[in-house]
Formats: sequence, structure tokens, C-alpha cells
Amino acid sequence: MTTTITESGNQLIAQFIGRLDTAAAVQTAEDVKPLMEAANREIILDCSRLEYISSSGLRIFLSVRKEAATHGSKVIVRDINADIRQVFMMTGFISLFEIQ
Amino acid sequence: MEALDFHCQLIMDEYREALPMLESMQGQVMATLHEALDRSGLVVTAVESRIKTEESLAGKLALKGSKYAALSDITDVLGVRIVTFYTDDVDRIASMAEQLFEIDWQNSVDKRRLHQLDSFGYSSLHYICRIPGYDMRFELQLRTTLQHAWAAINHDTGYKSGVEIPREYMRRMNRLAGLLEMADDEFSRIRTEITDYRRRVQALVKSGKLDDVLLDGDTFRSYLQVGPLDALNKRIAAINQAEIQDAPLIRFLKVLKALKCNTLGDVDRLIHHYEDDAYRLARHQLGNTDLDIVSSAIGLQNICIVCILSTGGGKIGLERLFDAINGHNSQNNELAELTYQQASNLPFMQNK
Repeated sequence: MTTTITESGNQLIAQFIGRLDTAAAVQTAEDVKPLMEAANREIILDCSRLEYISSSGLRIFLSVRKEAATHGSKVIVRDINADIRQVFMMTGFISLFEIQ
Repeated sequence: MEALDFHCQLIMDEYREALPMLESMQGQVMATLHEALDRSGLVVTAVESRIKTEESLAGKLALKGSKYAALSDITDVLGVRIVTFYTDDVDRIASMAEQLFEIDWQNSVDKRRLHQLDSFGYSSLHYICRIPGYDMRFELQLRTTLQHAWAAINHDTGYKSGVEIPREYMRRMNRLAGLLEMADDEFSRIRTEITDYRRRVQALVKSGKLDDVLLDGDTFRSYLQVGPLDALNKRIAAINQAEIQDAPLIRFLKVLKALKCNTLGDVDRLIHHYEDDAYRLARHQLGNTDLDIVSSAIGLQNICIVCILSTGGGKIGLERLFDAINGHNSQNNELAELTYQQASNLPFMQNK
């Protein structure tokens, strides 16, 4: 599982590649820290190459969303696959995130 | 500008020496006001201040310098202005200022009360204040946004007082002042009535008279405060010993209206009617997973899914539901298809 963060204009784009499971969560939580400190930015969680997400992964997304909100930033989850969309639906997380 | 006489020049010298003290006083006054406003929770349009410029003070002295024995006689060298949304808030902030500062009542004017039946203008409340630790006084102006707009535009006409303005324009500005005063009163009345409405709704919700309350954004929020979905959410969370994360439910308002809920009573009946099937759907979906986190929207989301499928809404109904809570998206179609398949084995779908 790798996470890369790039900047594009006012956007911070975090791309997740692989499986965001419990084992990968500790490193991923560390990798997304720059997103937490961003103020007044649009934060894109690019999931186009994310294969799987566990509860630990959902918690990381949630903490990014919470921290972003306190800094006036907005979080958009982009390009999730059908399985992950189902996870978002089954847990009621589709009401928590803007998903594109 | 004509040269100032010796007396006025002495006041100007005094002003230049006093500038550091005035800046310190300005900082102190602004900090005191901001802190008090934050504590009170009052939301205002602007809190602004200025120290009179040398040019402006010289202009004032040129016109009426003999009126002042010393700089300390001029009460508006430091001017502070608070612009509020509502007229009621002008009075609330005035009371606050009376607690924070020593008010020079002899020189303070409530210009709002000075107007006679045929008077001109739309003015604000002016307090002359003193803050502990400083000898100089300062002027605090309190006005509403509309009063501020009127005053600013009136100032822009270039006329310093009502006396100078030609009668025709005076009459038109006067008409506008009356209009804005009515608008200010109406805004205050609307706010009071909205507050009363919310209190009445909360009382009806608490007393359980839900059929008397029409469904709208305010009433829905009041209803949710009673926690009508808590039990269902906890049942669903218990499937995987999951934690529940708070989620906003206001997006469901549109869905509930589409499901023909006109009153809170309708919403309450909908919840009670479908909660067991909503739980079964969650158990069917989550039971085979190790997902141990859910949002507090899950209960209402599943109730809506079950209601749509039970009443023949089918996949199209589900797609519309996901469009409403998740925004329109081409993948909502797949999600609707998947949800439909998952639900198809559940008891409430057996006769569909």
C-alpha cells in the first residue's frame, strides 16, 4: 500500500494504491498527516487505484475529513470502485463524504 | 484649508504626542469588545475602529476649534463602530458597553430617539466612553447594517448635515430612511417569530404531538434531537460491535418528502413501521464483514431503502435515494442494483 500526495493549484491530492487494510493503516495514517495540516484547500482522496478499504481505512478518511473541516478545507473522495462504494453504502458513510 | 490659530495648533501638538497612547487605547478597546462579543455569542456584521487622521482633526478644529480647551475635550479622536444585523442587538450591545466602559451620559446620544415626526435621517446610538487606564474618551457608534448603509450613502452625497441638502433630495433620503427603519423592524420581528416557532416546535415534539408539526428543515432538526433513530442505530452497530460516527441527516429531508412524509408524525410512523426490516437489511449486509464503524445515517438510510422497495419503488427509487444523499453519480445505478440484489432475499421483498 502506498500513498502519494501531490499539489495542483488549490488542491492537495492523495493517491492511494493497493489495499488499505488494518496492516497498512498505521503507515497510511502517517502518510496523510500533511493533509490534516492543510488550511482552506480542497483535499482529493484519489481512490482510482485503491482496491480495498477496511474499517481502519474508513477511520483514516474520517480523521482527514474532521481535521480538514477544522482548517476550513473540503474533502472529496474520488473514483472509488464498486466494492468500496458498497462499503461506504453499508456503513452509511455515503452521507459523510462527497463522493465523485 | 486655512491656517489654524495658535490655540488649535497647540491641540494639534497635543494630538501628535498622544498618538502612541491612542493606538494603545484602540487596541485595548477592540480587544475588550471582541472578547465580550465572543462571550455573548452575538454575531455582528463589523467591529471597526479608527483614530482621527491629522487632516481630519485639523479640519474639525478649523470649523469649531474654540469649542475645545484641550485634546481631551474632543470625544471622537478614537472612534469605534459596531454594525449589527438586528435593531435588538444594538440595544444588547449598548448594555454590554455599559458594563465594559464608563459611559459619559451627558455627551452620549441615542440619535434614534431624537427624531421628531418630520425629522430627517436614520441614525445610530452614540456612546462616549472611557476605558480604565486612559484619560481620553472615545466614541462608540452602534448601528444596524441598514442604518450603516443609509449613513454611508448619505455621507457619499457630500452633504454634512440635513440642513445643507436640497429639499427634494432631503425628502427622498427621508423616505428611504423610513423604509429602512421599517425593514429593520421587520427583520427583528421575523427573527423573534422564527425563535418562537422553533420553541413551539420543540414543545410539540417533546409532548409527542407530532402530527401537528409540518415537516421542514427546522422541525426535522428538532425531531432528530429527541433521538428517534438512536435505538435502531445501536441495534445495527451491535451487529459488529461497531462505533457510531455522527453524520448529518438533513439530506434525507428531500427523500422523506418524496416518501410522502408531510408531518413529523408521518416520519415517526415510517421509522416505527420499517425499523425491523431496516435492521434485517443491515444485518444481512454487515453480518459477513468485519466493518466495525458505521455512521449515524445508517438507520435512516436503511429505513428509506426498505420503504422504497416495500412500496414498489424498485431500483429506480433506490437510485434516486442515492442521488439525494450522495449527489448524482453514474455509479449510483450500480449501487442501486447491488442493494436491490442484497435485499431481494429478505422477508419484506418476498411478495415483490
